[in-house]
Amino acid sequence: MDAAVLDGLRAAVGASAVLTEPAAVRAYECDGLTGHRAVPAAVVLPLTTEQAAAAVRVLHRARIAFVARGSGTGLSGGAVAITEGVVVCLARMRSVLAVDIANERATVQPGVTNLAVSEAVAQHGYFYAPDPSSGSVCSIGGNVAENSGGAHCLKYGFTLHHVCGVTMVTAAGDVVRLGGAVPDTPGYDLLGVVVGSEGTLGIVTEVILRLVPRPPTCITTLAAFDSMESAGNAVSAIVSEGILPAAVEMMDRLTLEAAEAAVHAGYPDCEALLLVEVDGPDAECRTVLAAVDRICREAGGTETRVASSAAERALLWRGRRAAFAAMGRVSPDYYVQDGVIPRTRLGPVLNGIRELEREYGLRVGNVFHAGDGNLHPLVCYDGHVAGESEKALELAGRILDLCLAEGGSITGEHGVGLDKACHMPKMFSAGALAVMERVRHAFDPDGLCNPAKLLPTPRLCGEVPGPYRPHPIETAGLAERL
Amino acid sequence: MSTAAPAARALLARELGDGAVREGAEADAVGGIVPGAVVTPAGEEAVAAVCAVAHREGLALVVRGAGTKQRWGRPPRRCDAVLDTRRLDGVVEHAPGDLVCTVRAGTTLDELRGVLDAAPGHRQWLPLDPPQGGIQTLGGAVATAASGPLRARYGTARDLVIGARYVLGDGTVGHSGGKVVKNVAGYDVTRLLVGSLGTLAVITEVTVRLHPRPAATRSLLLERASAARLGELADRLRTAPVVLTAADVCWPDATARLRVEGTEEGVVEQAAALAEISGARILDVGEAEAVDSALVVRPWRGEGAVAGLAFPRTRLADLLELASAYATEMVVRATLGVAEARLPESPEVVAQLRAAVARLGGHLALHRGGAALAGAAWPSETGPEVALMRALKLSLDPAGVLAPGRALGDVEHAG
Repeated sequence: MDAAVLDGLRAAVGASAVLTEPAAVRAYECDGLTGHRAVPAAVVLPLTTEQAAAAVRVLHRARIAFVARGSGTGLSGGAVAITEGVVVCLARMRSVLAVDIANERATVQPGVTNLAVSEAVAQHGYFYAPDPSSGSVCSIGGNVAENSGGAHCLKYGFTLHHVCGVTMVTAAGDVVRLGGAVPDTPGYDLLGVVVGSEGTLGIVTEVILRLVPRPPTCITTLAAFDSMESAGNAVSAIVSEGILPAAVEMMDRLTLEAAEAAVHAGYPDCEALLLVEVDGPDAECRTVLAAVDRICREAGGTETRVASSAAERALLWRGRRAAFAAMGRVSPDYYVQDGVIPRTRLGPVLNGIRELEREYGLRVGNVFHAGDGNLHPLVCYDGHVAGESEKALELAGRILDLCLAEGGSITGEHGVGLDKACHMPKMFSAGALAVMERVRHAFDPDGLCNPAKLLPTPRLCGEVPGPYRPHPIETAGLAERL
Repeated sequence: MSTAAPAARALLARELGDGAVREGAEADAVGGIVPGAVVTPAGEEAVAAVCAVAHREGLALVVRGAGTKQRWGRPPRRCDAVLDTRRLDGVVEHAPGDLVCTVRAGTTLDELRGVLDAAPGHRQWLPLDPPQGGIQTLGGAVATAASGPLRARYGTARDLVIGARYVLGDGTVGHSGGKVVKNVAGYDVTRLLVGSLGTLAVITEVTVRLHPRPAATRSLLLERASAARLGELADRLRTAPVVLTAADVCWPDATARLRVEGTEEGVVEQAAALAEISGARILDVGEAEAVDSALVVRPWRGEGAVAGLAFPRTRLADLLELASAYATEMVVRATLGVAEARLPESPEVVAQLRAAVARLGGHLALHRGGAALAGAAWPSETGPEVALMRALKLSLDPAGVLAPGRALGDVEHAG
């Protein structure tokens, strides 16, 4: 990298906050989807919005591409670095700047972890609602980039609904404030498109979050089923009766066994398990819980059990949250897919996944946010067996085809990133993609801000050969995923 | 009328056929400009054709649904033709098991309600109740982000719309989001269209998430309460063990209307808890209907401008003092920190109230303005944020086809 640019970056953030040593920058070569890797030329670690803006101005002047990065837990390769580019890592910006309980707002820096927000306001009886499974390590900045969900977004909504405002450094290094502590900022809803833009429209350096009061009552219950289909039918029946639980999660036998081995949650021995949480005013919860219990039994539930204590409730959820990582116990490698279907189509899609298992001779674990039809099939494979990782990726892509055939989406919460950019034309028309390009161009006319992510490019998608073609298959299975 | 009106009409008629194009009349005027033509395309392809012609020929189009909110934003600088969406009507698909519904943009809220009510075995609704009522189109409600009391629980169109189809000013047909609630694929262009006042794209189809219609509701009314008492009430509601469907303070009436919904057992418990906390009276069914239906149209009935205000919810009492000084009437969504105020059509009043609300930490934007207030629609039209808005408008509608000048960030087109 040009020495003048490096000097400029050092002037912007301080010499000790610019990393260029190969061993140091290699730590930033990938995110949670470790199959995609690229080593950046430099990493900068700003402490303030002004430092981040100054660094971006240096890069903008030199027309050097950059990638914003938080904790690096993303599962779509959205934070993969660019060779010859710079990673702007926000991990050192981890202060909760202000908490205003009476107005139900918290202002935080982007490196603050998701869980730390809830911890900071718990003493006041409040929490931060979006709860991705990686909440204890993932950052709020990353949550904004991905519009993160989690189990409880069924009732509480996504990051989009809980971010009131951001301070953002634009691709040119200007500082803008989008949204704010109070609602209805005049003009176009730029905040609405920045949330979920995967770091391609700017770098968010400060976030105003909406806080939610803890509900008076919260009850978790589980229901065991002897088939995934009957569990799926129970989910449809619950929603059709007009019940909106806080969360409805489903796990199949394979993921249950893995999770049970990892955390000993005491799950029943069954083909499919539903984890249902209801919260709200007490009388409302009791009525709803009774209805959920009845519906599950009518749908063929073999056992239902209400968590009898806060500790048991926490344990049931710990098993669910550990499900991805626990797959390492039953398979040397696995690929986490993320697709969405209308929840009434659970049965046919699960059958389709079973057929794919047989066709490819690979096992697929299923753990998902059943209430909103967000599937997380875990495609198991052994990276040391020649050809198996390719087969696994192909199978995972076929699952997305199943989702799209039912009118669903190629991603519910993990994002498009590098991993799924080439799937975008399956879901969006050429016109729709052209409009997205024009949105991106308005924010980043020079194409410096996390390029080659989110939207398909000929280079990335193999239509035109080029010198740099990260082949996911070559490197998949180099390490276990988070 | 634009001097090129007959030419514009002829161009559009050649594209769509005479039956879909007529001469504009006084009643079609937008911001004092009588359009040369009113076009009523019957489908998305026809919308794309109209836009392509307009883009090529340098015509300005103003999209209109039922026409209930044509005075929102700043008057467009040009209007060669009104693009009437009312033939883009009908429910495309209602998937009750998935609680989603896809609707053409020109469908009225009343029509949608009728279709949902007729679905056998389901009690579902789109909980969106802007003051302009059931005659407005869904596309119009989305393009203006208009909302009513139900916003307290269900949010605005921003929270209820999960996907859209649209046509840009140059005729490009796009879509975003989809038919599943949880979906992060691609840019959320749908969010940009919500509240864009028809300046970024013509919305042709909208997919919304529905909610189950509650089995029971209760309304409560608190009367003759001082500003200070209403301010205290808003704070107490924050931690009350209830889920409010609506919490509206009306001024100068000095009343608060609270509403809860859910199961019958649930609302009995919640209403009792609310009555104890607030001192409000639980209304019987007849009285509740009368109070609720009178409230939903306020403060839009009557002459004057209507402004949207936002403020930190802890400053409710201060806001009500401002309402006494400047507003004819004001309705505050007390748990959200937003309000709508009817004001005299005076730039001085708008400027003074705006400055006072800014001192509370909030802002004011005009919804229904008037010629005298054309320059006072928004607090500021400068800064890097507005520059980004302008870049977006230029990127999506470089020729300024769609209601040029109507939205914040469209200042260059205003010439």
